[in-house]
Amino acid sequence: MAAAEKYAKVDRDVLAAMKRPGRAYLAGLAFAVLLAVMFHLLWAYQVRSGLGVVGKMHPVMWALYITNFVFWVGIAHSGTLISAVLFLFRARYRTSFNRAAEAMTVFALMVAGMFPLIHLGRSWVFYYLLPYPNQRQLWVNFRSPLVWDVFAVGTYFTVSLVFFYVGMIPDFAAAKQHVLGVRKKIYTVLSLGWQGTQKEWRHYNMLYLFLAAFATPLVASVHSVVSWDFAMSIVPGWHTTIFAPYFVAGAIFSGTAMVITLVVPMRKYLSLHEYITDDHFESIAKILLFTSLIVSYAYIVEFGLAWYGENIFERETFRYRLLGDYRYFTWTMLFCNSVVPLTLFARRLRRNTAYLFAISILVNVGMWLERFVIIVTSLSHDYDPYAWGIYKPTFVCLGVDIGSFGLFFALYLLFVKNLPVLSISEIKEHL
Amino acid sequence: MADRMVFEDREQFLEGLRELVRDGVPRERIRVITPFGVPEVEEILPGTRSRVRFFALIGAAGGTVTGLAFTILTALSWPLVIGGKPIVSLPPFIIIAFALTILFGALATFAGFLLLSRLPSLQGIRSEEEHGNAFVILVEDGERR
Amino acid sequence: MKRRDFLWLLGVISGSTVMSACGSPNRSAKFTSYLLPPEEGVVPGEASFRPSTCTECPAGCGVLARLREGRPVKLEGIPGHPVNDGGLCVRGQSSLVRLYHPERLRGPMARDGGKLRPIPWKEAFSRVEGSLKASREKGRKNLFLSGRTTGSLSRIADAACERLGIERLPEYEVYSHTAVKEANALLFGERDVPHYRIEETDFLLTVGADLIETFVTPVAYTRKISSARAGGGFLWYHVEPHMSLTGGNADRRFTVAPGRERLLLSFLLREVMARKTPGGRLPGEILSAFPPATAESVSRGAGIPPESVKEIADRFVAAKRPLLIAGGVSTEQPEGLEVAVAAALIQYAAGAVPERVDFARSENYRNVGTLRDMEELSARMGRGEAGVVFLFRTNPVFSLPPRLAFRENLKKTELSVGMGEFLDETVREADLVLPLSHSLESWGDVEPRRGVVSLLQPVLPPLYDTLSDGDALLRLLGNSDGKGSASGYRDLLAAAWEKRLGEAGKARLLEKGFVEETLPKRPVSLGVRRAADALRSANRTEEIGKPVLFLAPSIRTFDGRGRDLPLLSEIPDPLTTITYGPWISVSEKTAARAGVRDRDGVTVASADWKAVLPVKVQPGLPEGVFVVCRDALPAPPVRTDRRTGGAVDRIEGVGITKTGKKVEVPILSGSFSQQGRGLIPDPVHLDEGRRHQRWTLYPAHEHKEYRWAMAVDLDRCNGCAGCVAACHVENNVPVAGKADHLKGREMSWLRIEPFYEKGEVEFLPMLCQQCDNAPCESVCPVFAAYHNPEGLNVQVYNRCVGTRYCSNNCPYKVRRFNWWQHRWPEPMERMRNPDVQVREVGMMEKCTFCIQRIRAAKDKAKDEGRKVRDGEFTTACAQSCPTGALTFGNMLDKESGVYRLAHSGRAYRVFESLGTEPSVHYLRGRKP
Repeated sequence: MAAAEKYAKVDRDVLAAMKRPGRAYLAGLAFAVLLAVMFHLLWAYQVRSGLGVVGKMHPVMWALYITNFVFWVGIAHSGTLISAVLFLFRARYRTSFNRAAEAMTVFALMVAGMFPLIHLGRSWVFYYLLPYPNQRQLWVNFRSPLVWDVFAVGTYFTVSLVFFYVGMIPDFAAAKQHVLGVRKKIYTVLSLGWQGTQKEWRHYNMLYLFLAAFATPLVASVHSVVSWDFAMSIVPGWHTTIFAPYFVAGAIFSGTAMVITLVVPMRKYLSLHEYITDDHFESIAKILLFTSLIVSYAYIVEFGLAWYGENIFERETFRYRLLGDYRYFTWTMLFCNSVVPLTLFARRLRRNTAYLFAISILVNVGMWLERFVIIVTSLSHDYDPYAWGIYKPTFVCLGVDIGSFGLFFALYLLFVKNLPVLSISEIKEHL
Repeated sequence: MADRMVFEDREQFLEGLRELVRDGVPRERIRVITPFGVPEVEEILPGTRSRVRFFALIGAAGGTVTGLAFTILTALSWPLVIGGKPIVSLPPFIIIAFALTILFGALATFAGFLLLSRLPSLQGIRSEEEHGNAFVILVEDGERR
Repeated sequence: MKRRDFLWLLGVISGSTVMSACGSPNRSAKFTSYLLPPEEGVVPGEASFRPSTCTECPAGCGVLARLREGRPVKLEGIPGHPVNDGGLCVRGQSSLVRLYHPERLRGPMARDGGKLRPIPWKEAFSRVEGSLKASREKGRKNLFLSGRTTGSLSRIADAACERLGIERLPEYEVYSHTAVKEANALLFGERDVPHYRIEETDFLLTVGADLIETFVTPVAYTRKISSARAGGGFLWYHVEPHMSLTGGNADRRFTVAPGRERLLLSFLLREVMARKTPGGRLPGEILSAFPPATAESVSRGAGIPPESVKEIADRFVAAKRPLLIAGGVSTEQPEGLEVAVAAALIQYAAGAVPERVDFARSENYRNVGTLRDMEELSARMGRGEAGVVFLFRTNPVFSLPPRLAFRENLKKTELSVGMGEFLDETVREADLVLPLSHSLESWGDVEPRRGVVSLLQPVLPPLYDTLSDGDALLRLLGNSDGKGSASGYRDLLAAAWEKRLGEAGKARLLEKGFVEETLPKRPVSLGVRRAADALRSANRTEEIGKPVLFLAPSIRTFDGRGRDLPLLSEIPDPLTTITYGPWISVSEKTAARAGVRDRDGVTVASADWKAVLPVKVQPGLPEGVFVVCRDALPAPPVRTDRRTGGAVDRIEGVGITKTGKKVEVPILSGSFSQQGRGLIPDPVHLDEGRRHQRWTLYPAHEHKEYRWAMAVDLDRCNGCAGCVAACHVENNVPVAGKADHLKGREMSWLRIEPFYEKGEVEFLPMLCQQCDNAPCESVCPVFAAYHNPEGLNVQVYNRCVGTRYCSNNCPYKVRRFNWWQHRWPEPMERMRNPDVQVREVGMMEKCTFCIQRIRAAKDKAKDEGRKVRDGEFTTACAQSCPTGALTFGNMLDKESGVYRLAHSGRAYRVFESLGTEPSVHYLRGRKP
C-alpha cells in the first residue's frame, strides 16, 4: 500500500469511531448518564439532610467515599504510566493505548476529585481547604495529609489534563479536515492553528518530553501522597512505611486493569484490531502480572510483620481483617488480586482478550475491596476496644459509589465518540 | 520566488529536502510542514535546541521556591502548635514544594511552548489550506543573494 | 485604644443592633440574649446561683440551679449539703430535661366522652368539689394517694385531707423497703429506715442493698464510701444473688444463691454473738430462729465458698466499727424479713446501734406503705367504695402487677384525679388531670431525713399553667387564690420555717438551701416478743423454683420514673452499656447452654407470665439467675409477701426460649474486655510491661501561667455516669436517639467504659485526653484542632469542615461528629447553656475541659488582679461526681490537687506507649 493510502487509512479508521452513534452506544450512554444523575441527586440529598444519611458511624468515620476516592485516583495512575513513563522508555506498544489511557486518567481524576467534597461534613465551606488570603489571616495546615492531597491530586489533574490536551493538538489538526459543521470549528480552535511546521514540531517534541518527564514522578508521588492519608495516622493497619510503594503498585495494577476493561470492548466495537493487537495486550498483561506480584508481596509483608512484630494492636487488626466480620471481603480481595492474576504466567491466557477482560473486572473488584478492607477494618478495630463498631453502608453511600462509575463511563463514552481515541500522529510516525 | 513541493511519501520528501540543502538554499527560507514529527528533518536542517527547556527549568525552580516559601511563611505568620510538631516542619513542606515544582514546571513548559511556537495562531486557525497527510516543503521568497 | 479593641467594639455595637434581625441555621427564631435585663437582678451574660432540692428520687439532694437570663441551664450539687455535699447523680443532672420536656402537661384537662380536653382551673376545682360532695353523699370514701412526701407538703396534705374528709392512704413507693422497716419495727419499735453512718465505719457489709443505684439515698452513700476509702482502713464487702453496679464496686463481691442470704446472716449472727462482746447476748427465742451452722453447711446452702464465708465473718468480727446494711433485692423476696431481721440483730449485736445505725435521723419512710396497701386500695376501688381518688405524683398503673387490676378498678371510682407533670400511665387514665409544676418552679421544703430541711424554691416562673404541689393542695382547701402565683404557699412556708427554725434559721435556709438540726441521740431497745412471733412463722428452707428472675432497680430510671427523660435513655446503663430499650441479663453459662448471644430475642416465661426481650450476656451473673430492670416491664408480675405485704421482686421458675429473631437494641460497647491493652493496667498490659525512656524530636510545649490537667481516680469511680449527664447538660450535647445508637453513633463527650475481667468489672471514664502530641491536631487540614498555650486541645467549631480525619487518628476515639442538624424541641432550647456554642451539622466536637468555665474563672481572676486558685472552679463532670473521682486543675501549680495526684505514684496514662502525652492521668484502681 502506498504511504499516502496508509496514512489516510489511519485517519479513516480512527475517525470512524466518531460517526453517528448506534443504538447500543446510546443505550449504554443513557444508562451511564442515569447513574451519574443518581449520583448527583443522592449527593444533593446528603447535603440537604446531613451526613447522617450515610452508613458511617463511630469509629468508622471514613468508608465508601474515601474508598472510592483512592480507587479512582489509583486508576488514574496507570494512564500516566502508559503515556509518560512508557514514552520515556520508548516502548513502542504504548501508542495503541496511550490516548485511551490518558483519557481514563483525566476522567478518573475528575470523578476522584468529587469525593473529597462529598465526604466533607460541611461541603459548603470546602474552600477552607484551599490556601487563600482571608481576613482571619488563617491558612491551611500543610502538615495534614489531606492538604497534601489537595496539592498532589490538583497538580496531577492539571498536568494530566495538559498532557492529554497537548497530545491531541496535532490530532485535532489532522481530524478537522474530516469533519463538518460545529465540530470542525471546535477542532480548529482546539488545534490552536497547528500547522505542523518544523519549528512547531521541535518545540512540541521538547514540550512532550518535559511533560512526560514531569508526569513520571507524579506516578510515584501522587499515590504515595494519597496513601499517606493513611500512613501518616497512627491507626493500626495504616501506620506502616510500606504504604507508599504498595499503593503505587496497587494503583498501577488497578489502572491497568481498567485500561483493559475499557480498551477490549473499544477495540471490538470500533474495529481497531490493526492498531491494537494481541501483542499489545500481552505487554499490558505482563504489567498487570508484575504489579499483582508486587501487591501480593505487600500483603505478605503486612500480615507477616503484624504476626512477627508482637504489636498487639497490629496483630488484632490483621487477625480481624482475615477472620473478623469483614473476612469475606478480605478473602475475595486476596483471591482477585493475588491468585487470579497468577494465571497470566500462561502465554496463551495473556493473549486471550476475552479472558483478560474477565480478569480485569475481577481485579478492579479486588482492588476496590482492598481499599475498603484497609479503611474499614482498621478503623473498626482500633485502639480502644469499647469503641469498636461495625460499619454498614446505606443506600446513599452505595448509590453515590455506583453512580460514580456511571459518571466515569458516561464521560468515557462521550470521549469515544467525540475525540480521537488513538494518537493519530504517533501511529503514523511509527508506520 | 515561492516554491512549494508536496510529497506523499516520506522518503521522497526527505530526498527532496536534502536536495534543496545541497542546492544551497538558505535554511531560513525553507519551511517544512509534516503530519507528524520526522526526526531526520532535524538532521538535515539543524536548528537551535528548543528553548522550551528553559521555561521548564525556571518553572520548576519557581515551583520549589514558591512551595517552600509559601508553606514556611504561612506557618510562621500564625504559629499554631499542632500535635507538638515544630512550627516549620520541613518534611510535609517538602511534599508541597515537590507538587508545586511539577505543577509550575509543567505549566511553564506549556506556556513556553505556546509562546515559542506562536500558538494559538490566528493565521493557522483561519487558513483554509489543508495539507492532509502530505509532506510539504515551502521555499519562501528570498532577498537578493 | 488598640485597633483590635476598636474593631471589636464596632462589631459589638453594630452586630448587636442587627442581632434581632438575624435568623440562625437552627431555625430557632427567638434569640436568647437580652440587651435590657428582663427583671431585677438578672444581668445578661452573668450567671447566678440559687439553691433548691432535686426531686428526681426520694433522696432529696440539694442542688444549685445556675441561672442565665432568668432560666436554669445547669444543676449542681450544693457543697456542704448534708445529703450530697456537692455531688449530683445522673438523674439529678437530668432533672432539667424534665423541666423543659416538651410533653409536660400544660394545663388542667378533663375527660369528656373518652378524650381529655383542656379546662380552666376554676372548673377543675369545682369539679373536684362537686365530686367530693357527691361521693360523701353516696357513702363512698374519698382517698388521697401520693408518693413519699415529707416536710411541709406532707403536713399540708394531712391538713387538707383532714379538713376535706379525705382518707390519706399510705404513700406508694415502688422501693418501699418494707422488710427493713418491718424488721426494725418488730425489733426496735421503729418502723423506718435508719440513717446509716458509713463515714464512721471501717468494715461495711452490704447484703443486696444497692447503695449506688437506688437504695434510699444513693449519692450520700456513694460519697461516704468514697471518703471512707480515701481515709484508709475501710473495707466493703457485698453479698448479692445477682450482679449489680453496687456489687461491681465493692472491694469484694460474693454471689449467694437466691433466697439463701439468711443462711449466711444467721452464721454471721452466731459468730458475732460468740466473738464480739458489745451488744450483749440475744434472747433465746430469737436465736432459735437462727439455728447454729458451720461455714461448710452455709456454703452448701448458700453457694458461697466456705473460706469466703469464714472471711466475711472474721472481718466483720475483727472490725472495730462494722456496719451491715441489708436491702434491695435481698429483702424484696419471701425470705426478706429474715434477712432484714438478721441484719438488724447483727447490727445491734455488733454495737452499731445507735452510732452507725441512727434512728434519730431516720430516712422518713414511715409513711410509705406496702404492696398490700395497694392491693387493698385496688380492691376497695373495685368494690365501688372509692369516691374521689387523688393520685398525687405517683404512677401505680405502670408499676403495679396486672393482677391488682388497678387500671380497671380506677374506672370504678367516682372521680380519679391525676396530679403530676406528665401524661404518664396513671394520669392518662384519670378523669381529671391537674398539672403540677416542676420542683424548680415551686416553693416548698423537703426533709430527706429527720433533722434536715432542704429548701425548694422556684428559679423561674412556671412555664405552663401549672400549680406547685403546695398551691394545688391549698387550692383544694380553697385557701389560696390567684393561679400559679406562689404567694399563698410561700407565706405558709415562711411562717412554718420561722416557727421551726427561727428567724436566723430561716435566713440560713433561704441562703444556703438547707438547714441541719442537731437531734438528740435516740437509743433503741430490743423488743423480743414481736420479733420472735414474726420469726416463728418463717419459711423453712424451701425449694426455690430455679431459674429465677430478679427485677432489679435501674440507676438511670430509678423505679421507672426516669423513662420520660430522653437524656436518661441516651446515657448507657453502666454495666451493660445498653441505651434505649429493655433487655434481660443472662449469665455467660446460661447463654452458652441456650445458644443465645447478645441481642437475640428470647421469650421469658414463668408459670403465669411471659415477655419477649433481647438477651444481654452479663459477666459476673451467676448461673440460673436472670435480671431485668424494673422499668423494662410495665405491669411486672410481682407477688406480695404474705408476712410484710411488701413486693417480691423475684420471679421463680423462669425459662428462656429463643424466638429466632434478633432485637435491635443499642449496645454501645464494642468489647467488654480490655483485650490485654492495659487501659486499666491491672491485670498487666501486655504491651506496657516495658517502660522505656521517651525520646522526642519535638520541641517542648511552653506553658506560661496555666496548664490544665485532670486526674481520674479509678479507685473511686463507680460508673454511675453522673459526670456524663453533667457534661451533656453543660455543653449542649445533643441527644442522638435510638436510630443513631443502633448505627453506632453516640454524641456524649464523656463515656464510662466498663471492662470485665473474670466476672469483675472496673469502670474507665474516657474523655478527651488533651494530648500534648495530639494525633488529631496534625491531620486536620484547616487548623480546626490545635493546641492552645494552656495545654488544651481546642476544637474550633466554625472552622471545621468535617473531614473526620481527626476522629480516625484519635486512639481514644473521643471525638464526636454531628451527623445531623440536631434540634431541641421547644421549650428545650431554653436549656442550652449560652456559654457554649451549639454545633452545626458536619462539625466535630469534643470535650475541651469546659473551656467556658476556664474562661469565666480567668476573667474573674483577672478582674481581681490575681491568678486562678486551685479549686476555685472545676469542670462540669468533676463538679458533679459524687465520689470525687475527677480532679481538675492547673498542673503548673505544684500545690494543686491534680499535680499531687498525678505525681502520687498511683498515676498512669492510657496508651502512653503511643506517645500522645495525654493530660489526663488515671489513678490505678486498687484490688485488695
